[in-house]
This record gives sequence, C-alpha cells and structure tokens, in this order.
Amino acid sequence: MSAEEVVVSVDQARCVGTGLCAATAPADLELGPDGRARPRRARTEALTEVTEAAELCPMEAIAVHLAATGEQLAPNW
Amino acid sequence: MSLDHTDPSAAAPLVPLHCLRAAEAGPPTLTELMTGTPVWWVRRHADVRQVLTDPRLNRVDLFAPDAPAITAYPNILDDPDTILNIDGADHQRLRRTVQRAFTPRAIERWRPWVASVVDDLVDSLAGAEQPVELVAAFTRPLPVVVISRLMGLDGLDLKRLSHWSDHALSASAYTPQAVQEAMLDFGMFGAQLMAERRRNPGEDLVSSLVKAADEDGEVTELQIIKLIIGLVVAGHETTMTTLGNGLVFLLTEARQAWQELAGDEQRAATVAEQLLRSVPLGDSTVSPGLLRRAVADVEIGGVLIPAGAVVAADSFAANHDPEVYPGDWRQGLLAPPSTPHLTFGAGPHHCLGAWLARMELELALHRLARRLPELRLAVPVEDIDWRRGLVTRSPQTLPVTW
Repeated sequence: MSAEEVVVSVDQARCVGTGLCAATAPADLELGPDGRARPRRARTEALTEVTEAAELCPMEAIAVHLAATGEQLAPNW
Repeated sequence: MSLDHTDPSAAAPLVPLHCLRAAEAGPPTLTELMTGTPVWWVRRHADVRQVLTDPRLNRVDLFAPDAPAITAYPNILDDPDTILNIDGADHQRLRRTVQRAFTPRAIERWRPWVASVVDDLVDSLAGAEQPVELVAAFTRPLPVVVISRLMGLDGLDLKRLSHWSDHALSASAYTPQAVQEAMLDFGMFGAQLMAERRRNPGEDLVSSLVKAADEDGEVTELQIIKLIIGLVVAGHETTMTTLGNGLVFLLTEARQAWQELAGDEQRAATVAEQLLRSVPLGDSTVSPGLLRRAVADVEIGGVLIPAGAVVAADSFAANHDPEVYPGDWRQGLLAPPSTPHLTFGAGPHHCLGAWLARMELELALHRLARRLPELRLAVPVEDIDWRRGLVTRSPQTLPVTW
C-alpha cells in the first residue's frame, strides 16, 4: 500500500448537490442519481484534486483521510 | 420611479411574512405563471430538492429562443449573462472564480470583524433617542457594510446602491424601461470596477475574481461584470430582508425566543437557521417558486414532466412539508432543523453567500438581543410600512423602543 493513498467520504445528509466536487475531481467524485455526491472508488492517490474538492464544497460535506492512519487531511481548518 | 397600479397587491394591506401560510405539499400540479405560461408547481421537500439538483432541469433553457414567457417584469434575475442563468461547465467555471471566498472556512475568518460591525451599530442605536428606526440603523447598514468591505467598495454612494438594488429585484415597482436603465447604469459601475481592479488589484473579492477569470481565459467580460453586480445586490438585499422579517416576528410573537437568543451565540445560530427555513423572503406573487425548464422528460414525485415544460420549485412549501418538518415551526425555534432546508436552494445554483448570511444573522440577532432584551416595536404590527413591488418583501421602516 502506498503511503499517499487517501479515502474520500461524503456526508450525504449535508450534501446539497452543487456538483463542484465532481467537476474538480471527476475521477474520484460523482453525483449519484439522487443528486448527492459520492466517492467513485474506495481509495485514491489524487490528493491535490480531492483536497481542492473538499475545500471548495459549500457545505463542508467532503472529508479526505489518510488511508494508512485515518488522519484527516482535508478540510484542514 | 412610476408605480404600476395594475398590481392588485399594491394597495391591499399586507400581513407580516411569518404569517404567510405555505402551500400544502403534494404531488406536482399544473398551474399558470402570471404570463399565462403553464408551469408544474412542485412543493414536496424531496421533489423540490430533485428539481434543483437534477441536470435534466436547468436555467439556461428558460431563456432559449423557443422558451415561453416567464415574467412580465424582467429584472436582473432574467439576464442571460448572470451566473444564475448559466449552467453546466460554463457555470462551474464562473462559480469557481468566487467559490473559495465563500467556503465556511473563508467566511469564518470574517467573524471577529463582522461582530465588531454589529457591536458598533448596536452601540450607536442603543445610545440614540427613542424610537429608533431599525432598518436605517441596523438591518440595512450591516449587510451593506459587510459586502462593501469584502468587495472593496469603500466610498460607494448608498443612495445609488439602493436605487440599483431596488430596480434589480423589481417586480411591479418600476417600469421595464426604468429597470433597464438602472441595470445599464449598474453594469457600467461593474465594468469600471472590473477595469480598475484589473489594473490595480487589491486583497478584495472583486480583484480575486477578476484574476481567476482572466487566468481561466474562457469567462466572458459580461459574465464577470454581471457576477460583480450580482454579488453587490445578493450580498445585502436578501440578508436585510431576512433580518427585518425575522425581527418583526421575534419582537411581536416570540418574546421568549428573543430572551433565549441573547443567551449564547450557538443558540442564536439555531434560531437564525429556523427563521431562514420558516419565514419566506417574499410573497411569491411573481412566481410560485424557483423556475427551471425540463430539457428531457423527467419524473418528479410520480408525475411525468415532459421535455420543454417549465417547473417551479416552491422552497417555502418544501420547508414546511409536514413529512420532513412535523409540528408548528414557532414551537421549534431552539432546535436545529432535522433536515437541511431549501431556502438557499440546492444543486449547482445553491446560494453562494449562504454562510455569510448565516453568520451575519446569528451575530446580529444575538448581539442586539443581548444589548436590548426589552426591545419591542413602537408601532402596531398592522401599521408596518412594507417595501412593495419587489421580488422580496421586508419592512420599509421598523420603529422600535425598549
């Protein structure tokens, strides 16, 4: 397992379906048929894209954690 | 400035916004816009959410050459270059130029400063001779000062701003020609601002959005200008309206809540959220909801909406859908909404300024109540003078005493 692997999660209760995340990180996030965002794969190495998606989300509905340790990388504030 | 006297509501007495009753939720039904255009009226929470998030329903096709007439009162909301009326990749591109300034984190950085603006206004009105007129002393200057600072509009003539803003959201108040002239003048202001910040960028929102748009390269000049003036209007008008209407309710029917929200900021945030959900911004006379057009056949709430049809998403009805929010909203002000409300919309056009509005509202209500726990209206609620003929409705003046 690569150290850079991260897990993206979406809080479906908060998501309002702006689609900004899917446009920012299309390989990792998409809008489901219910209009809510969801991860496209269990793990990813596209840290830059998913971090930007998490930080752009108007609802703070997206989180990025380090797969190895569970440490939250984004949003980081 | 001529008033259109064909508007039947112009002379009728008006009830406070919190006394309006939302339409009953139910499956979509066919009704008509004021232009006679048939419209599917959508009211259930889940259905409204679907209309606002489903890509088969959009804004841009409302203005396509084959589109039916949707308004008798064109204003800024019908401008095809405004961010509200752009969809898909073009919309994402434009929104990204400003989105970063409006994330919860970015907005949170402004909290101490916004709190100091609120305190200055509260200090000044608390020391003035009673009765104090709260719109001029509080509900209007707070959002105006905040958006002016964010956008670097120091020295902006407030009379001009009010003039533009009232015309931008005019329903029957002004003639289409007067609205057009005001929007041309407002657009010139936006164009000058864009040129100035491009030459001489600062730390403000206008400079950062012009820079981001120029770097992107595909955002048009008109889109930038309309985004700038849209932010000026949206940045204060709706917050002023929500604050004014919330105060009418709190100071007449919710004395207990007024005491409670003086207690702590978190409680004020909860009350603000419930007011955002429960009290509408206007009368829905212009349209029964947020309009979209179906670009393909789409099923909503068990009803087939054909391609090309116009759909109105009634967020006021959805925010009172008993399936989602059972019970009387007046009794639930101190508990957060169980499900996110739809006042800020949903989907790609979800309100950019939602977190800024929330922060201004909670700080304003908390600090005003803490300082003036005995605050009350100085006139009977029936005598409130309303701003009429606009898309939104709020008190023109709000005389208070304590």
